[in-house]
Amino acid sequence: MDRREALILLNACESFDGDYLEGLRRDGLDAVELVQAGPSLWKELGLTERVQSLLSRSLRRHWPEEEMERCRRQEISLVTLDDREYPSCLRSLPKAPLLLYVRGRLPSLDAAAAIVGTRRCSSYGRRVAQELGRRLSLGGSVVVSGGAAGIDGAAHSGALEGEASTIAVLGTGVDRVFPQGHDELFRTIADRGALVSEYPLGTEARGWRFPRRNRIIVGLASRLVVVEAPKRSGAMITARIALEASREVWVVPGRVGEAVCEGSNRLLFDGAFPLVDLDEFVGVNGQRQLALFETSRAPEPTRSLQLSSEEKALYFLLRDQGERAVDNLAAQGKMGAADVVRILSLLSARGLVYPSGPGRWSASPEL
Amino acid sequence: MSRICGVTLRGIEAVKVEIEVEITGGLFAISIVGLPDVAVREARERIRAALRHVGNKLRGRISLNLAPADLPKEGALLDLPMAVALAERQQLIPPQKEAVFLGELALDGRLRRVRGAVPAALMARQAGLPLYVPAENAAEVALVPGLTAYAASNLPAVLDHLAGKSRLEAVAAQNEEETSFEVDTDLADIKGQMAAKRALEIAAAGHHNVLLIGAPGSGKTMLAKALQGILPPLSQEELLEVLLVRSTLGRVFSGGRRRPFRAVHHTASAVAVCGGGRDLRPGEISLAHRGVLFLDEFTEFRRDLLEALRQPLEDGQIAVSRATGTAHYPARVLLVCACNPCPCGYLGDPLVACRCSATERERYGKRLSGPIMDRIDLHVEVPRLTPEELVGISPTAGEKSVAVRTRVEGARTVQQERWRPWGLTCNAEVPEKILRKTVVPGDEVRTFLASMARRNRLTGRGMSRVLRVARTIADLAGASEVDVGHVAEALAYRGRGGDPWTDERL
Repeated sequence: MDRREALILLNACESFDGDYLEGLRRDGLDAVELVQAGPSLWKELGLTERVQSLLSRSLRRHWPEEEMERCRRQEISLVTLDDREYPSCLRSLPKAPLLLYVRGRLPSLDAAAAIVGTRRCSSYGRRVAQELGRRLSLGGSVVVSGGAAGIDGAAHSGALEGEASTIAVLGTGVDRVFPQGHDELFRTIADRGALVSEYPLGTEARGWRFPRRNRIIVGLASRLVVVEAPKRSGAMITARIALEASREVWVVPGRVGEAVCEGSNRLLFDGAFPLVDLDEFVGVNGQRQLALFETSRAPEPTRSLQLSSEEKALYFLLRDQGERAVDNLAAQGKMGAADVVRILSLLSARGLVYPSGPGRWSASPEL
Repeated sequence: MSRICGVTLRGIEAVKVEIEVEITGGLFAISIVGLPDVAVREARERIRAALRHVGNKLRGRISLNLAPADLPKEGALLDLPMAVALAERQQLIPPQKEAVFLGELALDGRLRRVRGAVPAALMARQAGLPLYVPAENAAEVALVPGLTAYAASNLPAVLDHLAGKSRLEAVAAQNEEETSFEVDTDLADIKGQMAAKRALEIAAAGHHNVLLIGAPGSGKTMLAKALQGILPPLSQEELLEVLLVRSTLGRVFSGGRRRPFRAVHHTASAVAVCGGGRDLRPGEISLAHRGVLFLDEFTEFRRDLLEALRQPLEDGQIAVSRATGTAHYPARVLLVCACNPCPCGYLGDPLVACRCSATERERYGKRLSGPIMDRIDLHVEVPRLTPEELVGISPTAGEKSVAVRTRVEGARTVQQERWRPWGLTCNAEVPEKILRKTVVPGDEVRTFLASMARRNRLTGRGMSRVLRVARTIADLAGASEVDVGHVAEALAYRGRGGDPWTDERL
């Protein structure tokens, strides 16, 4: 057994990390020795029954070799703590993972930003996450998120619209798709960026695995953006880890009194950076204004294109007064329902408005 | 031999039954042969009592034969012809010319209402025979033109007429000329929901099936009911088709030329909706023929029921096969479905928070992608308006249903003209192949459609659906060509798939 196999095996136990190995080294023990030591030493080291039986069972079945063979067949690379490709920003993290399964290619990680938030987001939150992902990607930043439904998914799909890469850190094996609807998204991410997980192939989704993977999201990025987070949520855990790991925490302000952003607003109160201008955020890195992205602030030529007077009327109504039902638009714009529906559809074709609820429309948050 | 005929029903078709009588000496007995069901066999008691009431006492061994012998006969509508045939045999009345009789006898000789009068009338008209019906069935028979029919309220009146003692008044053919009708739920009674009303107008104009999505209490059911009021009145031919189904089920005719509206509960069985049973009765979908079939709580319907609805929606008729035989029923309906946006119903609602988990929503979304969905052209969101929003709507009432109906009728006329060469009547019926060949938009529209198709991931079928709806919108506007505006509006009614307001990708 070599050290690589030993690391694969220890990682699969879900209870060893970089810190543990470091402690072991100080005691003059090495990963390979630990694995081969046998039950008496394991007991002495205080390993639980579960871990002990898992270790001995896996050793008997030559599981590490099988796992490596499976990875080779599915073109999944294994990046261990010893490898040069192991992201240096992860190494400094407390409880660094021993191993990463990577589907796709890990991009270089300077100026990476993580975007996290609730799975049950509002359509506004989804828009912001997507637009933020897109602009970060256009500005050359890697977008890191958790591949979940809601904010995570929006951030990834926004990032894929831009040029830079995106990384999804999963709470399942990288050969699994969770949630179910994300198979196409995951395929694209694997093509253009990387699906990353510390869990062995075939690991199914379980509630406790998701908070654990959040430390990797934080570790990979230098900045964290919380878009929408209720009081008790994975995103709040991520924010706490980010503070401990001394990463910048930015928060998109939400409406007061709405459960979906209660937690994130509380973070603002506690001193997180408020994210009030997407372009400014993209241009700022480590509190420094980067002139490099100045160009992306210029309005896109499509934005200044000519609108008919009716289109203008509805668009400005939505932009200045917020969400409106079709009935109210018709009443305020003095138009028939058919005209309102037609104009809204034309405006949404240009990306100026979007349906924000059943029968309700809002102006896109881009301008 | 006697030429007295009755009828029995096979589906919605009436089959002529000839009645033959033989009386021989012996102890008194009546036997009925020719596959009678229980109701027909029990007729002997009713006939005996009714004839006694006329003053005729039956004697001897009486055999009644119902021909053709291999066709099962059912229902009490054969009472009258059997009684008349007996009376003729006993020379209470002179030998008769061939005629069709139907009616159930009361013990005192009165005639009771029967089901199946309209199918019988159609059969008699085709055979060129006079028809005798109970007075209570006169109204529906009067709506069948070109028929000699007499209505009587009791057996003596029929016998007197046949004997030439007194004449029965012939039923005057009543042409339902009145094309206006009472509107149950007027569009003007519904506050707000202009977008949904507009979608209903398009649905009525092009006969497009509709899905209404909205929170509980947003007014989906009321909107669906209002659709009945903006559909054009039934034509003479359609009226007969509607009458035929109702008469087969013995329902009282009402509503004039108003199109039928049938709401089906989600616990209904496939037999109740599609038809069937031992006596092959038509189901709800046939009762809604030429009108509206409303499926509330669409996602709660059993999958096999929806699967069974797919074929009649495509063919406009339904074949019901059971051990007792096969019957074809008409089933050309405008389908209106309604459902909540998510299991709890409040997804996207401004006041009530949705309590569903992502998994629940996903599962719910899957139920919305079933067998019927690709037959639905219009997806309409019905928002639950907040009190502030309701206040913001101008106090002037919306349009009356009658005004909308006028526009709908105009658009239907245009469509009938256009599709006549193919034997079609409205845009929704047009097959994809013909649609692509005949509705060819200009370059500008094509470019717009292509760019939107990329953006919204429209499939080829989805594109055709948008084009079809756009054609109807253009017809409503009186435009001969489909322009960008029409397509844009049509795009607003395309489906957003399972999870409408959080999963859209723009």
